[in-house]
Amino acid sequence: MLVDFVLIERARSGDDSAFSQVVQAYRKRILGTIARLIGRPEDVEDVGQEVFLRLYYSLEQLRTAEVFEPWLYRLTVNAAYDYLRRQRRRRESRMSDLSEQQVMMADAAEGGRQNDEERRRSKVREKVQALLEKVSGEDRILLTLKEVEGLSLKELEKIYGVNENALKVRLFRARQRVLKAHEAQQDKEK
Amino acid sequence: MDRMTENLDALWAEYRDACPDPEPSAQFMPMLWQKIEARRLETTSLFRHMAQAWVMAALALTLLIVVLLPRLRHEQVYSANTYVEVLDDAHSNDALELLAAGEVE
Repeated sequence: MLVDFVLIERARSGDDSAFSQVVQAYRKRILGTIARLIGRPEDVEDVGQEVFLRLYYSLEQLRTAEVFEPWLYRLTVNAAYDYLRRQRRRRESRMSDLSEQQVMMADAAEGGRQNDEERRRSKVREKVQALLEKVSGEDRILLTLKEVEGLSLKELEKIYGVNENALKVRLFRARQRVLKAHEAQQDKEK
Repeated sequence: MDRMTENLDALWAEYRDACPDPEPSAQFMPMLWQKIEARRLETTSLFRHMAQAWVMAALALTLLIVVLLPRLRHEQVYSANTYVEVLDDAHSNDALELLAAGEVE
């Protein structure tokens, strides 16, 4: 826990300054998780604010301060999932607006401004994002939380509100799907 | 397949490094409070709209009652007779029936 239970209790009872302190303690971690979940740095703050906005209006439903972190993660997952769903719809309409050549030119212009290290990182991000695009929003979020964020099955159990066995099955299937996409990606690169 | 799994695991780790936790901008908190306020106003205004709708409905109903009630009153048939006269009319045959019953005996 990054803050003590008393502060969460105060925020829950409507103390705005306590709520601000809670946000300040968690925002960096939550923004990081969102960045890895959605893969679009320009929208991270917006989604992060949505998470804390939902937290503000749902905090009184929190049973105890002990379950605060899984609660916050659940809000993060839901906001990221909503964003990805919106984005998928928007992209479908946007893709038809730009020609492939225009997309390549924009990418090349962006690439020229980056240094080597940033270019390598950007390549990794693109590669993983392309991979995650191949699976559903649910699989994408679950895999990112487990494989990238390093959350344990126990933590995921609390976030998703399902038992460990059900989670293992979902994870196994998601892994298989992403592995298949990875194989196809590797073949394409060769 | 195992090599592919290892490869994928390494890619996850690389991705973790390639996406460090971003620093929140200076506008993060002010924007968040703005959004909280906007949502609060939106909810208040929704309640206000609902209250306004209820007031309008209540006014319309009152108006309807005011217009319809006198008409209903006019349509009702009132007797010009007094209560005793009405009773007398309703039971005018009672005495004859009693007498008739006595004759049979």
